[in-house]
Amino acid sequence: MDDDTALIASSKAGDKRAFGKLVKKYEQMVYSFAFKICRDPEKAEEVLQETFINAYRGIKSFSGKSKFSTWLYRIVTNNCLMMHRKKSHEPVVSLDETELLKETGELQVAHWGETPHDAILNKELKEVLDKAIENLPLDYRIVFVMRDVEGLSTQEVGNALNLSVPAVKSRLHRARLFLRNELDPYFRK
Amino acid sequence: MKLVDHTKYLLEICEKVDRDIASPTCKKLREHLAKCPDCAAYYDSLKKTIFLYRNYDVKLKGSHVEEILTKLELEGPLEIKLPSLQSLRKKHPR
Repeated sequence: MDDDTALIASSKAGDKRAFGKLVKKYEQMVYSFAFKICRDPEKAEEVLQETFINAYRGIKSFSGKSKFSTWLYRIVTNNCLMMHRKKSHEPVVSLDETELLKETGELQVAHWGETPHDAILNKELKEVLDKAIENLPLDYRIVFVMRDVEGLSTQEVGNALNLSVPAVKSRLHRARLFLRNELDPYFRK
Repeated sequence: MKLVDHTKYLLEICEKVDRDIASPTCKKLREHLAKCPDCAAYYDSLKKTIFLYRNYDVKLKGSHVEEILTKLELEGPLEIKLPSLQSLRKKHPR
């Protein structure tokens, strides 16, 4: 029995200290993922708290078929979606693959300059990255972050979001094309 | 670049950008990238897009464990659903 299994079993029996250890272990992961979806530190903290409170309330329904982290990703996603729906409206953007490729242009594709190779990105670049991903509809943003940023497999993303593997791939491709096009003006030499 | 000639490669680039294109299944794509600077530039820009978002991380300032546990204390113990007397009698008839 691994650490998580024992802690989950104790949490199911009502041991809040055991649940506290799970919070300690996963809070950075949850916060980081929530931030990457919401792009706002305060909202990410709010989602973090809601996620663990919901997780505790629902821990008896956790079957152990998926990883505990995948289950948490699903709760974070639901909380982000709920928070997002409370907001006004989402920008309407075209995510048609052909349209996105057309934007690449029928002329030469520009070579991007050097991008920072270390983990520290400057403020201006962070703002560019935030703005680009905020323009991406949330359903696509979630798939992109889970698959390309967090490194979940296509199947895991599908399980967490109740989507088929082809649906995950389709959203992922569109998200990649969209973000690449959004960042293009910044990096063109 | 005439888009019509390259669309299938651009889509393939998008699909395989996170994979090891040195693998035998990506042979045709690899050959195309070697001779097409536009598709190579596109491949490079997609890889950089993913790289940048992967490296843009944030750290949590301080733990929320105690705050969350305090909120849970206020909620009381987890609700335990006991089976009804009727369902027990059905399962274990005398």
